[in-house]
Amino acid sequence: MKKNLLTVVVSALLAAIFVLILFVFQVRQSEVAVVTRFGKPVRTQTEPGAFFRLPPGIESVYKLDQRIQSLEDPFTETLTADNNNLLTTVYVGWRISDAAAFFPKFKGGSVIEAERNLKEVVTQAKAAVVGKHPLSDFVNANPKDLKFDAIENEIKAIIQEKIAANNSGIRIEYLGIKKIGLPESVTQAVFDRMTADRKKLADKLESEGLAEAQKIKSSADREAAQKISVAEGEARRIKGEGDAVAASFLPVFEQNPDLARVLLESEALETTLKERSILIFDSRTSPFNLLTGSFTNKLAK
Amino acid sequence: MDRNTKTKGLVNFLVLLAFGCAVFAVGQLANSLAAVVAAAFLGLGTLVAFVSWFQMRLEEREAAERMEIEELARTKTSSTLFDDKETAFFPARSSREQFEKYFVPGFMVVLMILEFSGAILFWRGLGKVDFTGIPADRMMIATGLFAGMALILFMVGRFMVTISRVENNRLLRAASNFVLLGSYLSILCAAAMVGDKVDFPKADLYLAKAFSVVLGLVAVETLITLIFELYRPRLKGKVARPLYDSRVIGLLAQPEGLVATAAQTLDYQFGFKVSETWFFRMLKERILQVLILQFALLILSTCVVFIEPGEQALLERFGKPVAKSEVLNPGAHLKLPWPVDKIYRYRTEQIQTLSVGFTPEKEEHEERLVLWTVAHSKEENFLVANREQTSAESEIAAAGAKKSPPVSLITVSIPVQFQITNLVDWVYNHENGEELLQQIATREVVRFLVSADINEIMSHQRLESAQSLEKRIQDAANAQKLGAKILFVGLQDLHPPVKVAPEYEKVVAAAQRRQAMITSAEGEAIRTNNLASAQAASVINQAEAARIKLELTASARAAAFTNQIPAYNAAPSVYVQRLYAQTFPRAVANARKYILVSTNTDHVITFDLQHNATDDFIRQQAEAINKPN
Repeated sequence: MKKNLLTVVVSALLAAIFVLILFVFQVRQSEVAVVTRFGKPVRTQTEPGAFFRLPPGIESVYKLDQRIQSLEDPFTETLTADNNNLLTTVYVGWRISDAAAFFPKFKGGSVIEAERNLKEVVTQAKAAVVGKHPLSDFVNANPKDLKFDAIENEIKAIIQEKIAANNSGIRIEYLGIKKIGLPESVTQAVFDRMTADRKKLADKLESEGLAEAQKIKSSADREAAQKISVAEGEARRIKGEGDAVAASFLPVFEQNPDLARVLLESEALETTLKERSILIFDSRTSPFNLLTGSFTNKLAK
Repeated sequence: MDRNTKTKGLVNFLVLLAFGCAVFAVGQLANSLAAVVAAAFLGLGTLVAFVSWFQMRLEEREAAERMEIEELARTKTSSTLFDDKETAFFPARSSREQFEKYFVPGFMVVLMILEFSGAILFWRGLGKVDFTGIPADRMMIATGLFAGMALILFMVGRFMVTISRVENNRLLRAASNFVLLGSYLSILCAAAMVGDKVDFPKADLYLAKAFSVVLGLVAVETLITLIFELYRPRLKGKVARPLYDSRVIGLLAQPEGLVATAAQTLDYQFGFKVSETWFFRMLKERILQVLILQFALLILSTCVVFIEPGEQALLERFGKPVAKSEVLNPGAHLKLPWPVDKIYRYRTEQIQTLSVGFTPEKEEHEERLVLWTVAHSKEENFLVANREQTSAESEIAAAGAKKSPPVSLITVSIPVQFQITNLVDWVYNHENGEELLQQIATREVVRFLVSADINEIMSHQRLESAQSLEKRIQDAANAQKLGAKILFVGLQDLHPPVKVAPEYEKVVAAAQRRQAMITSAEGEAIRTNNLASAQAASVINQAEAARIKLELTASARAAAFTNQIPAYNAAPSVYVQRLYAQTFPRAVANARKYILVSTNTDHVITFDLQHNATDDFIRQQAEAINKPN
């Protein structure tokens, strides 16, 4: 009896679990569910909770993620309005806004399928908008001239229009330009130009250095010459002062001009012969006239 | 060995072969991964069935041989003829023994390798597979076929298993278990097909993984069986269980015999009736209660949840966040049992990092030296506006197939560190918050750089730029209600692309050279000025000295003259003569002096003062003396 009771309890429990699995389904906060009966969508469940259903075979439940999903289109090359090749990629935040409309549009409510379709729309809209703008709208030294927001809004508007026309049950929440770039060949050209710019800058710096050094040196030479000139002028003035003072003593010599002349001549002679000189004297020159006498006779012998 | 048994063994082999192929084919038709693994089980069963069938044939031959020998023994008076060389005259028995001794263990090794390889390959393959689900149009057909095959296999399997319990039919058991297991695997495959329709779209994938695990368990069992076979006590007259008769397969095929199987294993291994002990008898009687208790405990254990430090969890009741306790913080919490209440854990305290502009190396190693000219990860180039005026030379240098647009390129490696601050927003607002944050961060970096001054952000504006970027990313994340806080944006690795980085370094070198030249010139200028100052001072000092000398000399002369006048007046001619005599030696002291004392005044004497005058003079004097008048 006890064993039978246990069997009944276990059977009931298993049956309850089985019934629960067959007749109840859960929808999470982040999900929306589409219920189909014999393949035909009969209702959508947007609120979270546990809900009744008919068993599989009669009703099927498809759960879709109703949170914002993000997709990126490929990094594609497009020609800008001023004929520059530009690579761009955008990211799009989208969500299922109407599961009933979304479900039949994409096979089994497949998000992958929806993203594939959306990507095509995004890429086309992006190419159309990028082609209307010059490169300076994307890259500009002046931030005020950038038109990122306008470009993003234009792309978003085109996508929204297209989606609304198709009634896909999708809503675009946001769109942003994730990255811009240049094709490989253009990138190489930019590298070459950057290299040339750098070389130019390096040459400029070196020549500036040379020029500046030369300026500094010549300026220093000028200042030096100026200083010496000023000093020489000052020296002349000082010497002049000396001359003036010396001249003040000249009246003393007027007391005996002959003596003064003799003294001056003797000083002049002494001063003149201070340098190396060759003097050839006649024996009559004083004091060599003393040589004419016994000394001369001795020499003759 | 009964001839019918051998036939049944052959039936097992054919059934497993045929249904193995069929399950595989239906699996391919329905894109069912579980069916592929199930087919592998049936394939292994086919091998086992073949070996067991072969062993049945050997045993049949041995039985026939034994009968013949017994018949002969009855007709002969003596049997001594066969007593001495027994083995030599029982070739069938010898063959069977050799088969069991050598072939079966060898086969088990091969079987084990196949099982291990299969388990590993399936597990790895299933981990990488992009499971796209069961095609809806083939689902019902496949489900029906699986169910049909399961029914046939079940009927054949049950029959064979029942037969195998009869004595002398033990060799049927291994293959029969595989047939019965094939039935269960097929019905599970069918259930997985339906599972796709009952909110469990990956049921087939998970089932395939479960099958792989079971295959691994069977492989382990085969290994253990081989090891235990070496140490198993061999009792004379005891019929050995075939090595390929897997207990795990038997348990799965006949789960009702769990206790019996365990008991058999222990009996077989220890060589006595462990199954007759009180413990085993009790276990056998109360196994159901034990299982129910275990199940109840399992369910109860889901009512308590422990959130680890650094974690937060979302609590959902039937998928709906539980009001007022939708976020569980670290600690112990009570909740309703699974599947009513479910929790989803997240490491919210953990500082997470995403990379903008580079792909981190898989094997992180700390770099001691980071240079612009060496790529230290997979770097990307970002566009920046070219603020410098491009020269004609630059345009020429850039001449090529493509015109260079007025932009430059820069390489950035920006780590962005963030933390989840609002778990509800992080989980419920976006399907992949981290991916969105990565996109937002990249967008803001791109927008920041396209109008940035490359030289400023690479030098003194780096910190301010990082702070500005952090704010921009945070604002953008808040606008999307991401529930994340940006903790750090690193601009430490921002430099020109590797290809042009050497040119940037050359500019820095040129700037240094420029400064060196200027500094050198400044040094030279200082020297020139100092020397000039010194020279000027010298000139002035000399002038001063000259002035002083002049003044003093003039003064002294005047004084001396005043004193000389009386002397002169006293003896004018002598004074002058004395003055001459005193002055003359001083004046001519340093001069080279030639004094002509010759009386022959008609000689003309020529001096070449450029040469040594002394020599000339001596020579001329000598000539003059020697010359006859």
